[in-house]
Amino acid sequence: MLAVQVLINALVLGCLYACIAIGFSLVWGVLNVINLIHGSFIVLGAYLAWGAYQWLAISPWYALVIAAPLFFVFGYLLQRLLLNRVITAPVLVTLTLTFGLDLILNNAMIYYFKADYRKLTLSPPTGSISLFDVVVPVDRLIATASALVLTGLLYLLLRRSKVGRAIVAVRLDRDAAVLMGVDVKSIYAIAFGLGAALAGCAGVLMALIFPISPLTSSAYLGKAFVVCVLGGLGSVSGALAGGLLLALVEGVGSTLIGPAHATTLSFVLLIIFLVVRPQGLLGRKGFE
Amino acid sequence: MVQSRLARYARISGSLLIAVAGLAGSASLASAEDVIRFGAPLPITGPLAPEAVKQQMGYNLWAEEANKAGGINVGGRKYKVEIVYADYQSNTPRSVQTTEQMITQDKINFMFGPFGSGAAKAASTISEKYKMPTIAASASSSQVYDQGYKYLFGTFTPNDTLTTPLTQIIKAKAPEVKKVAILARNDLFPLAIAQEMEKSAKANGIEVAYFEKYAINTLDHSGTLSQIKSLAPQWIFVTGYTNDLLLIRKQMVDQQMKAAVVTMIAGPAYQEFIEAAGQSAENISSASWWHPAEQYAGKDIFGQTSNFVKLFRAKYNSDPDYAQASAALCGALFQMAIEKVGSLDREKVRDELAKMDVVTFFGPVRFGANGQINSLEPPVFQIQNQKAVVLFPDAIKQGEFKLGVN
Repeated sequence: MLAVQVLINALVLGCLYACIAIGFSLVWGVLNVINLIHGSFIVLGAYLAWGAYQWLAISPWYALVIAAPLFFVFGYLLQRLLLNRVITAPVLVTLTLTFGLDLILNNAMIYYFKADYRKLTLSPPTGSISLFDVVVPVDRLIATASALVLTGLLYLLLRRSKVGRAIVAVRLDRDAAVLMGVDVKSIYAIAFGLGAALAGCAGVLMALIFPISPLTSSAYLGKAFVVCVLGGLGSVSGALAGGLLLALVEGVGSTLIGPAHATTLSFVLLIIFLVVRPQGLLGRKGFE
Repeated sequence: MVQSRLARYARISGSLLIAVAGLAGSASLASAEDVIRFGAPLPITGPLAPEAVKQQMGYNLWAEEANKAGGINVGGRKYKVEIVYADYQSNTPRSVQTTEQMITQDKINFMFGPFGSGAAKAASTISEKYKMPTIAASASSSQVYDQGYKYLFGTFTPNDTLTTPLTQIIKAKAPEVKKVAILARNDLFPLAIAQEMEKSAKANGIEVAYFEKYAINTLDHSGTLSQIKSLAPQWIFVTGYTNDLLLIRKQMVDQQMKAAVVTMIAGPAYQEFIEAAGQSAENISSASWWHPAEQYAGKDIFGQTSNFVKLFRAKYNSDPDYAQASAALCGALFQMAIEKVGSLDREKVRDELAKMDVVTFFGPVRFGANGQINSLEPPVFQIQNQKAVVLFPDAIKQGEFKLGVN
């Protein structure tokens, strides 16, 4: 029974990891920008959910609807006004810029929200479902479902919509896309906005599960990075595959060899992937 | 003619220069005489930032109170207190550099140790080298004090003074507790406490069914908790900081884990843990070095424990916890030692600290030969109805131990 419980835990956690990583993967895959502000976006989303529930009694499910457009606009403007100026520069320049932006946003959050840990506790609590001896917490289940829905929506957007095809086109061949009449700068801004919106939504969902503090942003960023390398950039399913693999390794590893080594194990896996399969499990060029 | 004019000019400008230098010198002397500078290297940024804020609150409250009373009385003359802060960015090696910089460049008179056992130990080498009396507000591990240093003092008793009374209470009140599972954050203090717990459990005939460490920044404990659940221990003992413990407590509820006793160190001592954990904090037991419910009639600037709590509430609009109180105590102890010897001489102040035996708002203070306090009886408490209720020591007991954490 313990084995089944561990597997179920990993499955749920894997979807949460995918949810954390999907926006990061999109921005990295399309813009070739390693967006270090991603973790802070997630934390900001979590504060949004917390504040909305605490002060306005808005349930996190509605906060999701508020967060998505708000973060999209925020991300869009950030790309349009700042990142687009250096987007053609070597990757280190954009990396440094997002690093600086992250410092500003993170410290601003420490200033306004303090570094204290907060917790969004729903009343009444959502509880857990138990079947035989296997227990699954409802909030994680809902977050997992929402993560899958968000991922599905992103997939549809990229696959079916004109903007989505333009995003994929820019990623595949920037110059050809320009010749076909695609406004690259605006596509970049839309892709970054989408990445931010996904991070904001992930934050709202994570607020239900993890304690909230600006200090957790680096943990989210670290997970997003590992998930992208494992799953591979450039496909929606890659983030999902990477998240599941990471959660499975951590879950099984912590049960078999102890929780102290679970993180080590996941990074060993990361190194193996970087050496043996650098494109990741499902890596492809362009979002398809 | 020209030469003599030049010589005169040189003489005048030279004497002017000397006069200016003299003025500046006397000005700086005057200001140096009126102020005692206390160095406080703290992790103001980085993962330990919340801890630095707590210590700052304690130091600032003491400095404010001391200055409100006119300052520290050194042989009939009042000196203002100034606390010099420096950020070592939660980076232990940098705390060593910062400490040296404060002593050599910032010209501080006395020193507060950096946060936690690890950094306090690292930096103590520097203060020892410069013979700088240092009081560490948050270092409990005995390894910090076992270095044979003369100038280091600490206001936390060794870790086993927390786990031993706790184990004895549980053994007395919950005889059905036969098995304990211990989960520790892989970090100096949380791990040291967990190891002490393991010893206390074994010494009291309780089987340690599980003992594991989890990595710093762990985002998920579901696998570990499933495993602990499958072992069905009556006592679950978890160490870590507020974020870890909130997450673990949430995941325990998620997995519908129940136990007769759940102990968490060090989160429940903080008001923010109780607020954030809400209902799930009920009946969680813990221990810490100080608690606002204590009632001591101190001889220090704060006097009664209740007076300290009142002043703290007035300034910060929240209840003090042991970290904030310990920081304030460090300042109060320096003040008492300096006023007693009536001098800023480091040797004399050091000797006074070493032989100090006094009751403070924090409890009785007496340092052992190694510099670590050995006079405190740390309280054991339990969260009941969203409030910390003291169970031990008997003198300040507020309630009875309750079994069952759901």
